Amino acid sequence: MNLLTRPSLKRLFATLLLAAVVAVMTGAPGGFGVPADTGVHGSFLEHVSYFGLFRTQRWAIFLTLGILAWLIVSFYQPRALSIRKRVAPVTAFPSRLMERRSHRLILIAVVVVLTLFIPHLEHQQFWMYLIVEQIGVWILLAQGLNVVVGFAGLLDLGFAAFYAIGAYSTAWLTGVLPTPAPFHHPIPTLWCIPIGVGLAMIFGIILGIPTLRLRGDYLAIVTLGFALIIDDFVGTQSGLTGGGEGSLTVPKFDLNLGFWHYRWGISPTPYFYLCMLFVVIFIIVFTSLEYSRIGRSWVAIREDEVAAESIGINPLKYKVMAFAVGAASGGFGGVLTAGLIGNINPTLFQYQVSVNVLILVIFGGMGSIWGVAIGAIIVQTATSYLDNYQPWGYQLNDLYMYIGALLIIMMIFRPAGILPSRRRLREIRGFEVEHEGHLDEVLSGDQP
Amino acid sequence: MTDDLLINVDHVTLRFGGVVSLKDVSVEMRRGEILAVIGPNGAGKTSLFNSITGVYQPQEGSITFSSSKAPPLSVIGKKPHRIAQAGVSRTFQASRLFSALTVFENVKIGAEDHRGIGLVGALVKGPRTRRGEHTSDGVATEFLKFVGLLDESNTVASQLSYGARRRLEIARALATDPEVILLDEPAAGTNPSEKLELTTLIRRVRDERGVSVLLIEHDMKLVMALAERLYVLNFGSTIAEGTPDEIRANQSVIDAYLGTSHEETSA
Repeated sequence: MNLLTRPSLKRLFATLLLAAVVAVMTGAPGGFGVPADTGVHGSFLEHVSYFGLFRTQRWAIFLTLGILAWLIVSFYQPRALSIRKRVAPVTAFPSRLMERRSHRLILIAVVVVLTLFIPHLEHQQFWMYLIVEQIGVWILLAQGLNVVVGFAGLLDLGFAAFYAIGAYSTAWLTGVLPTPAPFHHPIPTLWCIPIGVGLAMIFGIILGIPTLRLRGDYLAIVTLGFALIIDDFVGTQSGLTGGGEGSLTVPKFDLNLGFWHYRWGISPTPYFYLCMLFVVIFIIVFTSLEYSRIGRSWVAIREDEVAAESIGINPLKYKVMAFAVGAASGGFGGVLTAGLIGNINPTLFQYQVSVNVLILVIFGGMGSIWGVAIGAIIVQTATSYLDNYQPWGYQLNDLYMYIGALLIIMMIFRPAGILPSRRRLREIRGFEVEHEGHLDEVLSGDQP
Repeated sequence: MTDDLLINVDHVTLRFGGVVSLKDVSVEMRRGEILAVIGPNGAGKTSLFNSITGVYQPQEGSITFSSSKAPPLSVIGKKPHRIAQAGVSRTFQASRLFSALTVFENVKIGAEDHRGIGLVGALVKGPRTRRGEHTSDGVATEFLKFVGLLDESNTVASQLSYGARRRLEIARALATDPEVILLDEPAAGTNPSEKLELTTLIRRVRDERGVSVLLIEHDMKLVMALAERLYVLNFGSTIAEGTPDEIRANQSVIDAYLGTSHEETSA
């Protein structure tokens, strides 16, 4: 690979420009070339400078990183394309909910191992917190967003709004908000699931029908705005939502079957089982959805809306459907969070939450149910670990710098995610085949 | 006579701002015929297709599709998916397959009924959903056999040869159970032997499946071999209509294709 070709130098220029932008952005406000101690303070980068490697020159560090990134891209060759690769037969219609035997086995194995193993962690506070609050709920959120972003190819930047709707409707229905509850007797938290999910879904449909008629990125903008409105609303309308404090007293889950009454208490293990049950249901249901008529229609619309219309698919209907399923899952996550944590406040539903869920989906692999699940486990474990133990001089503020770097590296080496969806992978491969091989050349614009 | 009109394009005018793409165009297509629309580049052939399939909305005139199963449908103002469901299917000039899906899935998705909501059915896969899947599996197999791509069922669509992509597009369009199929330059980019195969295939579409064919094509040999009647468009207007022999002898068609000499124009 010749480094001095025009596309290669163009890439170098772009990388260095990016590095410069990052250097300015992470520095103190007010100018260029600010020393490190006012910039990325106390972070890994400062540790590097302690070794006398770059002294206080953050610029040098970022530019070096840029050059390194450029070298990696230049010398990295995508794997040889497997031309005319055969895929698993689809002619036989699967008789069960999860068509792939291997997937069923993985799911069963994971469930069995976790069920046996988890009670041993009962007193490991960090791990239980991680598994229940950070992974359990977030896998569900990520699976829901995956339907919107991965299956239907719609960019939703306001997922937190539906999460908030689910959580706040739980608080409302159980009568712990300043707003009077709709029923005389507050209803049990578990029964809030269908209502919270339904409300989130209705909001999704109301928001989706006018917006999804338009093509392009309007949806991203509208969802972003919607999330900001909801965030602002719950934070400021103290008379309705409890304002900044939210509600501290959402009742715990409680299952009353008449002959058997179970109450989720302080111990985290029962919550774990509840989360695991829902995760398993979500995985089974969404896998079945992916390979259904609806799943195929989503792929068709994502790939070529005009062709999809020509065979009788109504794009608006299917987009709204994807959006509603996503919104409903977000609402579900909200109800679950309210019941798990027992207190809700606006900080749980900030814009950052939408971005975080999107990161899980992109990292795991858009459109890949297993990828998203694994992505959620990896990212959530890593961030919770860093937040809790703060190893190697890690600072809380640096989190998104590392996540950003991680995503950039992912885009270079595994653009379709950790465990890519087969269909998404084929889209990327198909693109490469059509453009005679090298995606890189297509992107740098040097293709005839 | 008017009873067996399948598509009636009646004095249609389509404008994009100041550009007139179709000028007072009338086309009558009878049930069961192979009709071709020819004309030089930019004559408005694809605009006509897009008007019939609801992609474009002409400002004047009317387009009526008379299905044998339903009351006549006024096409203008209807959404493309609605027109497709009524029985007008099409292929595209540059083939537009779902490249991430397999050959089989591409046809199956055409065979499926997209009318209901079916979210609950898709989530729990009840008996009705299964029956639907079985039916579409059967239809997909049938049409893959029809176009000779059954052996490639599990190949990803983007990896097919050009000619095979064309045939797959026809199979996908047929799977929607149409009464008429609009083929936009089906032979573009294919080699001579593929052209021959396509000619046979298109004739079989009409003869064996009973689907009327409306065809845009530049390859005159293919058009003259297939079409029973032709319309010739030039600069957005119909300049001639008739059988292949009549068209071959028509002076204005020859002028449109070869250009008029200077003396004739000034005279």
